[in-house]
Amino acid sequence: MNTSDGERVRAVLEREGFSETLTEDDADILGILACSVRQKPIDKVYNKIAEWNRAKNHRNLITFISGCVLPADREKFLKLFDFVFPMSELNQLPEMIRGYGVATPASLKQQGNSPILPNNENIYSLWNIRPKYSSGFEAYVPIQNGCDKMCTFCAVPYTRGREVSRPSAEILDEVEQLVKQGYKAITLLGQNVNSYGLDKPNTEISFAELLEKIGQLGDSSHEEFWVYFTSPHPSDMDPKVFEVIAQHRCLAKQIHLPLQSGDEKLLIHMNRRHDVETYRELVAKLRASLPQATLFTDIIVGFCGETEEQFQNTVEAFKEFRFNMAYIAQYSPRPGAASYRWDDDVPFNVKKERHLRLTEVLKRISLEHNLKLVGQTVKVLVTGTEQRTPYLTGYTEGRLVTRILATEGSLIGKIITVRITTANELSLAGEPLLVTTAITA
Amino acid sequence: MFSMELMIDTRFFTVQAVTNLTDHTFIVRVPRRGLQFKAGQHISVGIKGDHNLREYSIFSGENDSYLEVLVKEVKTGYFTPRLKRVKNGQLLEIDGPYGKFGISKEKEDTHKHIFIASGTGIAPFHSMVRTKPQLNYHVIHGVKSASEGYGRESFDPTRYTLCTSRDGSGSYAGRVTKLLEEMKFEPNTHFYLCGNSKMIYDALEIIKSKGFIRANVSTEVYF
Repeated sequence: MNTSDGERVRAVLEREGFSETLTEDDADILGILACSVRQKPIDKVYNKIAEWNRAKNHRNLITFISGCVLPADREKFLKLFDFVFPMSELNQLPEMIRGYGVATPASLKQQGNSPILPNNENIYSLWNIRPKYSSGFEAYVPIQNGCDKMCTFCAVPYTRGREVSRPSAEILDEVEQLVKQGYKAITLLGQNVNSYGLDKPNTEISFAELLEKIGQLGDSSHEEFWVYFTSPHPSDMDPKVFEVIAQHRCLAKQIHLPLQSGDEKLLIHMNRRHDVETYRELVAKLRASLPQATLFTDIIVGFCGETEEQFQNTVEAFKEFRFNMAYIAQYSPRPGAASYRWDDDVPFNVKKERHLRLTEVLKRISLEHNLKLVGQTVKVLVTGTEQRTPYLTGYTEGRLVTRILATEGSLIGKIITVRITTANELSLAGEPLLVTTAITA
Repeated sequence: MFSMELMIDTRFFTVQAVTNLTDHTFIVRVPRRGLQFKAGQHISVGIKGDHNLREYSIFSGENDSYLEVLVKEVKTGYFTPRLKRVKNGQLLEIDGPYGKFGISKEKEDTHKHIFIASGTGIAPFHSMVRTKPQLNYHVIHGVKSASEGYGRESFDPTRYTLCTSRDGSGSYAGRVTKLLEEMKFEPNTHFYLCGNSKMIYDALEIIKSKGFIRANVSTEVYF
C-alpha cells in the first residue's frame, strides 16, 4: 500500500513542477510514508527525521510524513516534521507547500480551494490522483481502503478508517490501461482487499465479481500478465474467488491468506473472527479449485499470553497447511491497538526463538514444495538482477523467488520460460529456455 | 470557482453526565448528535486535548437520544481516572462506530440468543436489549457481587441471571462457567461472549462440549 501511495505522492508533486532526485542531499522536499504495523519502521522514521532536521541547519528543506501514523506518534511528528497529514488529504499537499511560500509553476495557475469532505470519504480524492508508477512492469492498484476487523494487535482501523471500496469502473479502467501499457504483474491492494464491495452491497459488485471482470479482460487480451491481490481476511473469503481464479489465466495462482496463529484461543484473543476450522475449510476449497496454487500466510509469534503449547499449535498448522511462504512477525505492541494495554508478557528472547523455530519449519516445507519443481518448466517474471551476483532474479506466477541463470538485462520486465534446475529453501533457480540476444555487427 | 463550506467538526461531543455506578465503574453520557451505530459496536473515546484514546462498547440503545459508554476505572491507569473526572460541558473526542460484534442477522428471529458477559462486558448486550427488547434472549452476567449488575434494570428479570463469584448476592452463586455447565440449550441457540479472555475461552469449551460449533459463538475480547 505504501508503494501505491508513494506513486500518488509522486504524481501530485510532479504536477506542481517538482521532479524526483537521486539523492536526499539534492532534494528540497523530503517525505516519508509511514508504516505503523510494527515498531521498527517507526523507529527508523525518528532516526531519519533527526537526520533531516540536522540538515536544515545547512539548507532549505521541507519535510512531511503521511501514510499509517498512530495518534501518539502523530503528536510527536507534528513537532518534528513540517507537515503531517493523512493520505486522504494528499490533494492539499500543494497548498501546504505554498503556505511555506514555495511557488511552483503549477501553483501560479491554481485558483480556489478544494472542499473539505467528511471522514473516510476523502479517500476518493486520493484514488482520483493518477499515480506515477515506479515500475514499467509491476503495478499496484488500490481497490479498497480501511479496516473494520478490529484485530486486537492492530491499530490500522484507527489510522486508515472504515472499509471503503473504490468504484469498480475506476479499478477496471486502471487495470485495462496497465494491461495496454504492457504491465506484467498487477496487484490489487486493500487493507482488507477481499471485503471489496461489502460496504456497498446494493451498488457495487463483490470481490469475486471484480476478479471475474478482470479475468475476462485478461481472456480477451493478447498480453500475458498476472493479477494478484493482498491483503485478504479469511472471514471475508468467499470460495467463489478460488473458482473465478481457476477460470481465468491472468488471475495468478497464488493466494495470500493470513492465519496469524494456529491456536483457537489466541485467534479469539486476537479477535480474528475465524477459527482454525474455518481456515481449514477454506484451504480445502482452495486446494480443490486451485491445486497448483501457492499458499502464503502471515503469522505473529509471541502475542500476549502465547504459551509454548499455543505456539506448537501454530507449528502444527504450518505442517497441516504447508505454506509455500509465510511472513512471520514477532509481536510488538502498537499504540492505539487494543492489545497495547495488555501485558506484553512473552519475553523478547522467546519471541525470537519461536520466530527462528517457525522459520525452520517453513524452510523445510518450502524446500519440499520446491523440489517437486526441479526439472519442470515454469513461467517467471524477470524483475531485475540479484544484489550480489550478475544473475537475473524474478518470481514465478506463484510468487516463488527464482534465480535465472542468465544475465541479459533485456529480459527484465518480461515473462520468460525457465527450466528449474535447483530447489532451495524459499527459492528456486533455473535456466531460461529461450534467450534472445542482440546480435551486433 | 467555488466557496469553502463551513464544516462543523463532528468528532467532539459535550459531556452531559458522568454517573458513578460503583466506586470504580461509571457511565459517561453525551448527546447522540446523529451518530449511527449497530448495537454491539464500539467507539473510541478521548478527552479533547489529549491524544490518548480508548475503545468502549456502546452501552446505550440504537434508538436512544444519547450515547453512553460503561467504563471501569483502572486506578493505576492513565486514561480512566481522567475520564472519570471529566465535568459536564467538557468535550470528548469520539470516533467510530467500529466492529462487527452484534446480533446475527440471519438468526435474529429464529434463534435464542444467549448473552454471556463478565464485568463491563455487559455493555454491548445492554445496547442490544435496549434496541430490541422483544428479542428471544437470556443474559448471564458474571460479576463479583450484585452491586456490579450494571444496567440490569433494562433486562427482563425472568431472562437475566446475575452470577456472583464472591458472595451469594446475585441470582446464582458462582461463576458464569459453572452455571453454563449446568444449563441445557436448544439446538437453535447462538451464544455471544464478551469480557475477559479467560472467561471466553472457558465458556467456549463448555459450549463446544454441549455439541455446538464455533460458528454458533460470537466473541468480543476486552482483555
